[in-house]
Amino acid sequence: MSTPVLATPAADPAVVSGGPTVGQRLTSFMPLIALVALLAALTIADPDFLTQRSLTAAVRTSAPLVVLAAGATLVVLCGGIDLSIAALCSLSTVFFAMWLPDLGGLTALAVVVAAGAIGAVQGLAHVLLRIPSFIVTLGGLSIFSSVALVISDAGPIRVVDRDATKWLTLYVGGVVPMAFFVAVLVVAAIALVLRLTPVQSWITATGFSESAARLAGTPVDRVKVAAFTVSGACAGLAAVMLVSRNFSGSPTMADNLLLPAVAAIVVGGTAITGGHGSIWRSLVGALVITLLRVGLPIVGVPSAWEQILYGAIIVAAVALTLDRSKVLIIK
Amino acid sequence: MTSPVEDVEVVAARRPQPRRGVSLRDAGPPIALVVIFLVFSALSSDFRTIGNVQNIMDTAAVLAVVTCGITFVLMMGSIDLSAPGIMGASAIAVALLVANNRNDNDLGLIGILVAVLLAAALGCLSGLALVLLKVPSFMTTLGVSAVGLGVATLMFAGVQPNISDAMLKGWAVERFLGFAYLTWIAVGCVLLGYLVQRYSRLGRYAFAIGGAEEVLALSGVKVAPYKVAVFTLAGAFYGLAGVMVTSQLSAGLVQAGKGYDFAAITAAVVGGTLLTGGRGGILHSAVGVLLITALTNGLVQVGVSPYWQGGVQGLIVVAAVAAAVVPQRRRNQVTK
Repeated sequence: MSTPVLATPAADPAVVSGGPTVGQRLTSFMPLIALVALLAALTIADPDFLTQRSLTAAVRTSAPLVVLAAGATLVVLCGGIDLSIAALCSLSTVFFAMWLPDLGGLTALAVVVAAGAIGAVQGLAHVLLRIPSFIVTLGGLSIFSSVALVISDAGPIRVVDRDATKWLTLYVGGVVPMAFFVAVLVVAAIALVLRLTPVQSWITATGFSESAARLAGTPVDRVKVAAFTVSGACAGLAAVMLVSRNFSGSPTMADNLLLPAVAAIVVGGTAITGGHGSIWRSLVGALVITLLRVGLPIVGVPSAWEQILYGAIIVAAVALTLDRSKVLIIK
Repeated sequence: MTSPVEDVEVVAARRPQPRRGVSLRDAGPPIALVVIFLVFSALSSDFRTIGNVQNIMDTAAVLAVVTCGITFVLMMGSIDLSAPGIMGASAIAVALLVANNRNDNDLGLIGILVAVLLAAALGCLSGLALVLLKVPSFMTTLGVSAVGLGVATLMFAGVQPNISDAMLKGWAVERFLGFAYLTWIAVGCVLLGYLVQRYSRLGRYAFAIGGAEEVLALSGVKVAPYKVAVFTLAGAFYGLAGVMVTSQLSAGLVQAGKGYDFAAITAAVVGGTLLTGGRGGILHSAVGVLLITALTNGLVQVGVSPYWQGGVQGLIVVAAVAAAVVPQRRRNQVTK
């Protein structure tokens, strides 16, 4: 995405002096409102929905999506986009299934590290070769899919040793699925690191105005590579979660998670132009998307509408959260 | 930059120098195409047969039509990821409108026209979202692609429509001067695209929008309608490509356009179209299409697994974009 950026910050003293208006406060809580409204609507449509069992099942399905969206949010906050997460996740499921017999208990760690390294390579290509992030990751998407097809011989690989992923299928306190617990833990850990270190302001500065951040001495390049690395590692973790559920690795397993993940990020309210947003927002966004996914059949809408809805949601949410002061020409 | 000495000796040398670089850029892809042909001809005896050249041309047909559409969008500096969705929708639509096993429709050419119009409408949708909602094109087209796939799935309704229309089926099988009808349709599309790009206001403005949109807007041109028109035109090309895939498969498939978006971007970029817009064109892209198809064909002939196809395209596109960015590294401080 190479969008022309204003060389000087737009003169808009009203925004600087006054706090957020009521309308702005309301829009920033929009994802939560949407989540509650969806829950209410689904409960009205089917009173059985608001039971512990179905809610547990819903958050359990949402875990891989939460992790994927959380990682990619960092890249979006830097002003880029990562379109390769789903393909990298599929590739990682294949890695997991192939490495499990040799590595045993260490497989999950190895997959996350490998996926993180692949993410770092994409980040380096973006930063060093100065290629727009969406074209790097679109190329990555294509490369990862084909590597996954080649090494898996284009078919699913069964995971026989189920003990290695058993911990992810447990329940914390008998209620919260371990996968979801881990997902929230990852989000909290990333958020904590951001909060306690200067990284938060580096990312925000990079996203809001890269040239200004560079002039101010922000390590822009390292921040971007780090964001891509975390995004890749998250794709690896999501792959471990998928394998723990499906007991197999397949070269196309996660491919249909790209749109939901992008939708989760933008529905959460993270601006695609970078800078504004947070990783918690993507958690809420992912829950909204998951509720939509499990909710549509309850309301009686055919699942084909799911795709159409994703498309409409992505465009609408991006239109609402876009920072128009920053982009002169929309390409 | 010309040195003062040259200025004195040859007055004609005052022409702006960058032209030399441009002509090299224009010559690069055709040279690469010839090199690829020579290399694979030397490596594989199956590659250098007349039959295989026909094969390459026939394989390139659908990609060529998709690339015609995407080239106009890239010329504006936008990007289009909607090909898979739009092609899927038009593939199913045409399969349901001509003679098929699902219903009693037998509209023939009108059915094809309706499918192309549906595709154009979807393309128009992404153009409208771009100019009205001011959402970047890679997001609008990602959204429209999802919408197209959804529409296709709705029409698919669980039963695959197989076509029995003799004319549409014949397009893929019957040959004229050694090439399938589909190949001639693709050649026609390239010619049409070239004429639009060269002689119509739409094509000229698409170039200008990619080169310097501010300047065009400041000189009083209303840019928005032309942007919508370009996306609509691109949608129509994808629609025709979807029809062509249906003709090849004799059936409508939701996944008819899978992978074509990226393959078309690769072909256009390899042909010399810049992603920043303003440079390149239909003929460049046509060379790019032949290059990609010959490379894919050649790799399979020398025994590389066909699954590598996407990987090779990914590497090529990253390398080509990186190479195109090198001359303007300094200028391009901000890369998103």
